[in-house]
Amino acid sequence: MYENLSLFKTASALARHSAMRQALIAENIANADTPGYAAKDLPEFKSTMPVAGLGIQMVTTAPGHMTGVAGQASVQAATQLNAGDESPNGNTVSVETEMVKSSEVRQQHQLALAVYRGGMDLLRTALGRR
Amino acid sequence: MADLQNSLAISASGMRAQATRLRHVAENIANADTPGYKRKLVPFEAAAAFGEGEGQVRTGAVRLDKTEASRIYDPSHPMADGQGYYTGSNVNSILEIADSREAQRSYEANLKMFDQARKMSASLLELLKR
Repeated sequence: MYENLSLFKTASALARHSAMRQALIAENIANADTPGYAAKDLPEFKSTMPVAGLGIQMVTTAPGHMTGVAGQASVQAATQLNAGDESPNGNTVSVETEMVKSSEVRQQHQLALAVYRGGMDLLRTALGRR
Repeated sequence: MADLQNSLAISASGMRAQATRLRHVAENIANADTPGYKRKLVPFEAAAAFGEGEGQVRTGAVRLDKTEASRIYDPSHPMADGQGYYTGSNVNSILEIADSREAQRSYEANLKMFDQARKMSASLLELLKR
């Protein structure tokens, strides 16, 4: 039973991660013509999870983090260094790269919701309310 | 969910900024033949620096293009000087067309991001159904 609950945690952490990433992509695209703006991105979701271990647990990287909530761990959005070539006005946003990232984010979000819904169905079946 | 709402607000700010830019491009083109008209420029700035929405973009104070106005030879013109020249505008139509295309593309990119954030939050709400 508890394995299933950690499945929910992971799924919602992935959904939160992709929502945060989507917000950053929107910010990058909105500022695609702002002089001197540096593109931002989050670290991969994979890197917010421990490499090995039996139970899946979220990593806490700062003292303020609550255990089991991965979304908080990735709040620090790093500015991208190699994101497309810098334009003469110092802007580093590449709209094409952002588009690719946004479709990636959409897939991740759908995956997270599908896993969540699958888990819910499983629990409902176990409760006999199918 | 809050991230997605934020994403919507940022994309909307991007669309607003691009629309303002397009409005000034239209003004410049409309006044391309107005004697003495100076081309207007719209600078983009990150709004966060001004205590507004985090990550949003906004348009700053409109500036005038300082390039020399064209001198047009037309002795029959009422404003013509002794040599038969009068001062036209400093609008370059090709430049304005290119600018309007860029604004349109950026607007579309922002709209795409807006739509994606909207879809993501809609599918998140789908989970509550049933």
